[in-house]
Amino acid sequence: MTAKRTMTLNLTDAEMRALDDLSVRKDITKTAVLRQALRLYQTIEARVEKGDKLLFENDATKEKAELMFL
Amino acid sequence: MMTEISVIHLLDVATGEGVEGELRDAIEQAQLDDWQKEWQPALLAVLQDLARRGVPVDQWPQSWHWDWGKKTARVQGLLAFRGFSVVAQGVTQGLSQVDLTKAAREPSQAGKPLVYLDYVEVAPWNRPELGRPTRLRGVGSALLTAAVALSDEEGFKGRIGLHSLPQADAFYAKIGMTDLGQDAAYQNLRYFEMTAARAQAFLEKE
Repeated sequence: MTAKRTMTLNLTDAEMRALDDLSVRKDITKTAVLRQALRLYQTIEARVEKGDKLLFENDATKEKAELMFL
Repeated sequence: MMTEISVIHLLDVATGEGVEGELRDAIEQAQLDDWQKEWQPALLAVLQDLARRGVPVDQWPQSWHWDWGKKTARVQGLLAFRGFSVVAQGVTQGLSQVDLTKAAREPSQAGKPLVYLDYVEVAPWNRPELGRPTRLRGVGSALLTAAVALSDEEGFKGRIGLHSLPQADAFYAKIGMTDLGQDAAYQNLRYFEMTAARAQAFLEKE
């Protein structure tokens, strides 16, 4: 297993609730939620840097909406 | 990042003897060199044989055009992707690349994260479907086990998913993966998923 480092994280109540909620809904630990978030953030950042756009498409209506990623 | 190496056991098909191999949690330059210098000529010989026998291109091994150099370069430095390789008898015997950002589809675990096997390929001389004598058995299973173990380690409870190439459908069904049918959004390949419960049983057996 790859060695891991520990850090303290300061979150507001709302942020902590969101983290708790994602942890339950996704069936993973809070640490796993944050690691997953980091993977996604880094992937999106790399794609946007290459000039790609981040789009969401409604499966039923096929309506597309671009997510601005600043 | 240091490459972690685990000892695995494969089967030498010709002698029936066990062979020790290495499962490495990375695809490094040595593996890409093997792919270029060892796999490519072997695959070319297979393809020339298929062409000579008039076998239509759509019946060739679907991975014949895969370029592991490009696949590896495309995800270099990205946390979402990991590579594995199996090395035995001094040469790379199998390669895989996984994506950790996908979510499960099987109803009992829909929306939960899993390890998605983007690409799995074993060396041409280990593939019985190519109609030639094979050297080692167990390479593909070792790569699959690595994906399940990674999923477990990441807290995804062993859940994995993959789109199967037609010649491998029976294998994934046999090991207890759930067949969720053909995926029109992915070249109509069948999509298979291993549930968390099935993964725990699979890891105990391995």
